[in-house]
Amino acid sequence: MAKKIGVYVCTGCGIGDALDIDKVTKVAEKEYKCPVVRTHAHLCGKEGVELIKKDLEGEEGVNAVIVAGCSGRVNTDVFNFGPSVMVERVNLREHVVWCHPANDEDTDMIAEDNMRMGIVKVQKSELPEPYIEEGIVKTILVVGGGLVGLTAALEAAAAGYKVVLIEKEASLGGWVAKQYKQVALRPPYDELRENDIQDIIKQVEDNPNITVYTSAKSEGISGGPGIFEVTINQNGNTVKEKVGAIVLATGAKPYDATKLAHLGFGRFQDVVTKDQFEEMASSGKITRPSDGKEVQSVTFIQCAGSRDPEHLPYCSAECCVGSLRQALYVKEQNPDATAVIIYKDLRAAGQYEFLYKKAQSEGVVFIKGEVVGVNEAGGQVSVEAEDVVRGETVQVDSDLVVLATGMVPTTAFGEEELTVEVKEGEEAEAAAAAADTIIRSDILNLQYRQGPELPSLKYGFPDSHFICFPYESRRTGIYPAGTVRAPMDVRAAIDDAAGAALKAIQCVELTAKGAAVHPRALDFSFPEFNLSRCTQCKRCTEECPFGAINEDEKTYPLPHPTRCRRCGTCMGACPERIISFKNYSVGMIGSMLKNIEVPEEFEEKPRILVFACENDAIPALDIAGINRLEYNPWIRIIPVRCLGSLNLIWIADAMSNGFDGVMLLGCKHGDDYQCHFVKGSELAEIRLSKISETLDRLRLESERVQMRQVSIMDYDQIPKILDEFAEKLEELGPNPMKDF
Amino acid sequence: MCAFKYNPAASREVYNLESGKYAQQCMQCGLCAVTCPARHLMDYTPRQLFKMLFAGEVDKVLKANTPWLCTSCCLCTVRCPRGIPIIDVMHSLKHYHFEKGTKAPVATLSKVFFDSMMKRGRVFELGMTNAYYMKSGFGAIKDAMKMQDVGMAMMKAKRLPLAPPKKVKGLGDVKKIYDKAVALAKEGH
Amino acid sequence: MANKSILVVGGGMSGLTAAVEAAETGYEVYLVEKKPYLGGRVAQLHKYFPKLCPPNCGLEINFRRIKTNPNIRIFTSAEVEAVSGQKGDYDVTVKLHPRFVTEDCTACGKCVEACPAERPNDFNFGLDKTKAIYLPHEFAFPMKYVIDPEACSGSSCGKCLEACEYKAIDLNAQAKSMNLKVDSIVWATGWEPYDASKISYYNFEANENVITNVMMERLAAKNGPTQGKIVRPSDGKPVTNVAFVQCAGSRDENHQPYCSQVCCLATLKQATYIREQYPDAKITIFYIDIRAMGKYEDFYTKVQEDENVVFIKGKVGEITENPDTKNLVLEVEDQIKGEVLHHEADLVVLATGMVPSTLANPIPVDGTTDDDGFVIAEPKETGICGAGCARKPMDVAASVRDATAAALKAIQGSVRGGNGNG
Repeated sequence: MAKKIGVYVCTGCGIGDALDIDKVTKVAEKEYKCPVVRTHAHLCGKEGVELIKKDLEGEEGVNAVIVAGCSGRVNTDVFNFGPSVMVERVNLREHVVWCHPANDEDTDMIAEDNMRMGIVKVQKSELPEPYIEEGIVKTILVVGGGLVGLTAALEAAAAGYKVVLIEKEASLGGWVAKQYKQVALRPPYDELRENDIQDIIKQVEDNPNITVYTSAKSEGISGGPGIFEVTINQNGNTVKEKVGAIVLATGAKPYDATKLAHLGFGRFQDVVTKDQFEEMASSGKITRPSDGKEVQSVTFIQCAGSRDPEHLPYCSAECCVGSLRQALYVKEQNPDATAVIIYKDLRAAGQYEFLYKKAQSEGVVFIKGEVVGVNEAGGQVSVEAEDVVRGETVQVDSDLVVLATGMVPTTAFGEEELTVEVKEGEEAEAAAAAADTIIRSDILNLQYRQGPELPSLKYGFPDSHFICFPYESRRTGIYPAGTVRAPMDVRAAIDDAAGAALKAIQCVELTAKGAAVHPRALDFSFPEFNLSRCTQCKRCTEECPFGAINEDEKTYPLPHPTRCRRCGTCMGACPERIISFKNYSVGMIGSMLKNIEVPEEFEEKPRILVFACENDAIPALDIAGINRLEYNPWIRIIPVRCLGSLNLIWIADAMSNGFDGVMLLGCKHGDDYQCHFVKGSELAEIRLSKISETLDRLRLESERVQMRQVSIMDYDQIPKILDEFAEKLEELGPNPMKDF
Repeated sequence: MCAFKYNPAASREVYNLESGKYAQQCMQCGLCAVTCPARHLMDYTPRQLFKMLFAGEVDKVLKANTPWLCTSCCLCTVRCPRGIPIIDVMHSLKHYHFEKGTKAPVATLSKVFFDSMMKRGRVFELGMTNAYYMKSGFGAIKDAMKMQDVGMAMMKAKRLPLAPPKKVKGLGDVKKIYDKAVALAKEGH
Repeated sequence: MANKSILVVGGGMSGLTAAVEAAETGYEVYLVEKKPYLGGRVAQLHKYFPKLCPPNCGLEINFRRIKTNPNIRIFTSAEVEAVSGQKGDYDVTVKLHPRFVTEDCTACGKCVEACPAERPNDFNFGLDKTKAIYLPHEFAFPMKYVIDPEACSGSSCGKCLEACEYKAIDLNAQAKSMNLKVDSIVWATGWEPYDASKISYYNFEANENVITNVMMERLAAKNGPTQGKIVRPSDGKPVTNVAFVQCAGSRDENHQPYCSQVCCLATLKQATYIREQYPDAKITIFYIDIRAMGKYEDFYTKVQEDENVVFIKGKVGEITENPDTKNLVLEVEDQIKGEVLHHEADLVVLATGMVPSTLANPIPVDGTTDDDGFVIAEPKETGICGAGCARKPMDVAASVRDATAAALKAIQGSVRGGNGNG
């Protein structure tokens, strides 16, 4: 269908007073011959919206709407005319009249250029058509049959979804199955309850929607969300299952106690781990391994391996509560028995405080301190500790010592490798930066170009490091839950299981519609590859932060659109510019920047192009406008999905079109990254380092192209950054390519 | 090894006192120390006392003057974040002394003060003071001599009458209440 | 819309998350928020621990998710008044308080210039003022102004009416009631900071330079009352010696018997705020236990490396003000030294804990909360599910996870006969 563009310029909120509106409408009417161009003083009001609707429904037959007025961040619903009408918002308010002087030629020029870019963007865009795979399945695969896996399976099944659960052991229940009692999930929180894991296992086994494979593991997972194919090896027999999304719930292993000889493990029979102790309690009697006698005194050593730079630097989150529980077992067996807990900080957070008090009331003794030695004395185990409150070394003798060993995620065991091969030479640095660490833990065995498991963050946890979006792993449709994701206690793990199950369900539902998942949920666009021009440089397959692109047998990229998050990093990476979205492409942005009017040198009106991340930098610029912060009028801003989508040709185009400088505004990267696509801004910076050499060769100062990491709260800094950049460019003088 | 040895079991008899068990709930925050108006006179703050109990240092706890200096002002008890009735614990500790017949000076003072009170319903300072020194053994008589000047000065100022005060009205009833309380305590209430 | 719909009560991080997660899964959601804007407590935070990233970043994404999702309908300045029915068939009465500013508001801000009346700014805990007509904050969603009826003198003034070119002000607006039919309810009304004035010995109300941790967030925030400069409230002077008082109300049977989970990390985070602005300031943290769970330990380790941050084990028992300097003296028993300290500081931050909002504003359904006010309703039976800090004390990341879990429970309450694979 031919596009018929209607341009609606709002003159409210001071826009009409500050700008020469005729100039703006003339751009649409004269320069771009838009068939319908109207102005209104309150476009977001009922009358204004009706004005647009009339053109959409009436004989004007407008099917693409450009609203020039306020930011696209506001009135989003007001200017939504359904999925078949393309809407583009040209920002004249926050980015123009609220941050530049009124009735000024330069301010008018910004408005005109913004109008040009908006129109060109619409001209170069198509309405996206959803990518819907054939044979989408909505079954959820749960890997791991411990409490978290079982809970995730039950919760997903209760929402009406089929579940396939695989467990590597012969029986279900995992770590929790070996426990004697459990902490309370509801008040009273100071009482332990019977371990109900066997009921949960039975519910899973009896549920017709859940298929359980025990003694089974994944040998290979191919495909992507909605179309995963899992090869399950069960006792040597191979079964294939089709699933839509995956919950990874393989849990954690106790820290290897043989590394804790300094705490007596392996040296004395009566020093056991918390798991060995739990088994004793479950078996009915807590006795000394050395002589089988019932214990009269037990000492618990906290942080056995945790909070220790030599072992696990992190806190394992569960052990304090675990020891409170176990100390109560001692008191239950014999109220006169002694239980001592030696701790650094008693981390009974939240409502576990009640359990702490309960243990105290039962007479459990707590010593804040560090253990300095474990020895044998008079048939007992003697623990020496620095009691920080007493300010001296103390000795605690007991029949049994229990080490509260920490947890190590199951994903942390295996050979480490990078997601891409790091070659020698110029590209090496870029490749290394783009690479993630994969630990071959033999759990998922993904048949992905970027490696068989989820990329690991610190300490081998496959966490995402997002606070606001904690389930976002780096592989679409695979959601880690429970102690494999982060150290946590049982209550948190049960909640975590349900949360991950929801994300898996949501993923299959969105995938079935052909829509993206977080953070561009409900985006129907997806990258299309013009493979006839592909040079097999592999950049797209290596740089995709989500491992969405495999390679086919001829080493061409093999995109898996259901794994794609639509950030456009592949589009930015491609030197041949063969990757594009219907509504976002190298050509589209290229045309936008080429349509900005660059005055000739003698006019002394420099032009600076800013590529700004639409997630953080653009809202920050909006807030700068709301605060009426002024900045240099030579700036022209193009929003991008993520700086990762920045294609270097845009910078070359900008320079050859006479722009005096280019500034990239993206999110923070590094360990505490804020980039919503994890790697995007980092990759942009790496690409930029490459262009500086090219600029030098063209005798263009490399300072003309710069990048800044900004956050959404830098709205007061961004005007300064832009002004300083403009000053710097003034020092450098005009772009010598301007008049060519 | 000469490190101090924990012996938590040793404190069991203290925990078995009427309010002794509450001491176990102490989480060592020290708020009691700050709130106590007499803490600068105490050997140990209540928190320190409880920490000693955890370690099994019962003798040290019993020798401490802490319970005797407790004025029952109740501030620590009102503020204790663990809800420990600290004055009740102190009370239990004092009782424990009497039961065991220990001769700590403050315990003796407490006893003669109480006896004096029960006799007339008022304290007879001179009688009480004499009784204190007499009961505290030979060394205490020397101490008493040292206090002579103070005593004389007080007498001159009529702050230390030679004759005992009159009995209060209804003393018999007070005694009845006391006897009943003792009987109830014996029954284990 | 009558079928398979979910009511989410509370538009903070938990409520927002539950709403968008359920909506993106394909369910109809009503989101009801008492305040005139969404974002709740996190909108008031300067940074999140441990990444020290700005909360507005994640909120912005969540607002975008709402704006582009037709499955969500939001009601701000709204409160649930009554709930009747049962799982799968709830009838909910929602009271819509008047905003006095209509949908026609363009947020141009002309009214503020005209308004003569002022009100204490609750968003900044009363540390500054706004006009009676105000934008809750610059990232506010919805981006619409609102009038505080307590401060506005009404139609007798009417200056804003003249200023508004869009006739977006209705000073005679009345509260309305609305009925919603829903299958399940997510209760995510979050928390209130514990009222520090209840801890008498900290003299919070009298001592000007004793603030709470939530106030510190506003002081440090760029869009806060001091434009992000951490200064003493009494005289606006820079700080040199700051004391943090942990467990101000938490872990205390006279106040809140439970541990509030977040205050340790919040204090460690706020120590970095001070360090960022004052490289030489002394920071003392008085604590009982530092509960930096899991990988947060790394953040604790990082703060411990700062030589000018001193940790003292002991609960502060008394805070008194020096009337001349307005400095404060904290009395505390240092457990390690075994002595009572008199520690002087020029600013004291009380790490007050969280009280579930359900304690003051109970859920109008019996048996849904415990003694402390936390939601304990069993979603499988009642169709009501707590989420986030309404359920138990937790940090932001945990609230998001919990709210995502709550979205699933709500969906289960909406499933009628085998969904999903159909």
